[in-house]
Amino acid sequence: MASFPPRVNEKEIVRSRTIGELLAPAAPFDKKCGRENWTVAFAPDGSYFAWSQGHRTVKLVPWSQCLKNFLLHGTKNITNSSSLRLSRQNSDGGQKNKPREHIIDCGDIVWSLAFGSSVPEKQSRCVNIEWHRFRFGQDQLLLATGLNNGRIKIWDVYTGKLLLNLVDHTEVVRDLTFAPDGSLILVSASRDKTLRVWDLKDDGNMMKVLRGHQNWVYSCAFSPDSSMLCSVGASKAVFLWNMDKYTMIRKLEGHHHDVVACDFSPDGALLATASYDTRVYIWDPHNGDILMEFGHLFPPPTPIFAGGANDRWVRSVSFSHDGLHVASLADDKMVRFWRIDEDYPVQVAPLSNGLCCAFSTDGSVLAAGTHDGSVYFWATPRQVPSLQHLCRMSIRRVMPTQEVQELPIPSKVLEFLSYRI
Amino acid sequence: MYVKSVSLDDHEFIIKRQHVLMSRMIKAILRGLGQFAENEIKEVSFRVNSSHVLAKVHACPSYVVGYTNNSTEIPEFPTAPKIAGELLMAANFPDC
Repeated sequence: MASFPPRVNEKEIVRSRTIGELLAPAAPFDKKCGRENWTVAFAPDGSYFAWSQGHRTVKLVPWSQCLKNFLLHGTKNITNSSSLRLSRQNSDGGQKNKPREHIIDCGDIVWSLAFGSSVPEKQSRCVNIEWHRFRFGQDQLLLATGLNNGRIKIWDVYTGKLLLNLVDHTEVVRDLTFAPDGSLILVSASRDKTLRVWDLKDDGNMMKVLRGHQNWVYSCAFSPDSSMLCSVGASKAVFLWNMDKYTMIRKLEGHHHDVVACDFSPDGALLATASYDTRVYIWDPHNGDILMEFGHLFPPPTPIFAGGANDRWVRSVSFSHDGLHVASLADDKMVRFWRIDEDYPVQVAPLSNGLCCAFSTDGSVLAAGTHDGSVYFWATPRQVPSLQHLCRMSIRRVMPTQEVQELPIPSKVLEFLSYRI
Repeated sequence: MYVKSVSLDDHEFIIKRQHVLMSRMIKAILRGLGQFAENEIKEVSFRVNSSHVLAKVHACPSYVVGYTNNSTEIPEFPTAPKIAGELLMAANFPDC
């Protein structure tokens, strides 16, 4: 079974440059469960990197210092005990000084992490921004951790303090995501087949329960303008929700097995979903069409094999911030970088037991977490974006596909704008 | 060697010939205009585009040439959303 399409010469695909790795510390005696790095996350402003080390702890690493360490000491960076510091209760104004490392003990196996900021991500279409600014004196950076028992703990990143404990899910909280417009709305996806929407500015009040999944919900992602939420789950489910009215917009059909990861492109015009059926699909979320298919197994498996154990499950997918590249992690011990206009990967990197991947905030580094708790970093393929692509992203941030179709422009430009080329 | 491109509102841009030749279409147009003398400046008219859009289109090749195959960080090329529509149409012609 091949990993690449037959017309591609495997040896010609470039190997990515490794930047560094963080190895999990040795297991303490009293912790029974293994190291399972179900998620890695970068803060929206690029200041911190969160790493669930397994053994119920999460480490918050200041990202620029981490990068500097990698460059100074070569690729290995084994954490030694002298640099570990436990989180403190009363920390002085951490924002003004150098950001510090924190180790947070969560009390239960951590399944998901998300950073939330009260500052809206730049270039998102902000709604009600004045209302948000009134509530807090300074910009807040929060880390939400989803645990095995269904609880969600919210920590302050600068001080490492526990702020809120959200109790409502009855099963593992598999994924968490914050709205990118700075409103601190958190959505949690759980194995209890529901998604819950929490308002963290209102003391963690749960605003809504989204029901519709028939089985485990694996992942969720907000669109960059915060108007849509995509949730994916077992039994081939890909749902799109309207986040103004909390209704379901549509179901996207096409996968043959559980769908385990999803991510929107930075202009909200594309949705990537990864599934155990060995494929990553790129959809147009506005009308539900499949635009591209990235396969990890060739020849593509028949639906019977696609729907079962085929040793090539795709575990995670992530869009880069330039809107041109997608990274995927599969069980065949490889990380692949794709461009959205080619159906074979442009770069690959070896990785065994990969579980999750995330691009850094500036898009230059991809972090991937593995089953044994370590994290590996690679340089992403950078490409100077064409002027047409930059214009396309600017336009698509504000215009859904239906409006694009009505523009009085030549058909070739229309196709380009709808990402159909 | 330089090429002159003129916009809708009669704004004249003088650009390096290599930058303009990055587009195949413009290369074909210039070839049609005949051979270049040593210092002669040929004119290509983009008379459908306004000057602020054309300025961006011409700034693009130096950005591309400067940062391709360069390992330093690629900064953002500023494109204001207001002109994005016109800019897309303008950039489609030289395909840059």
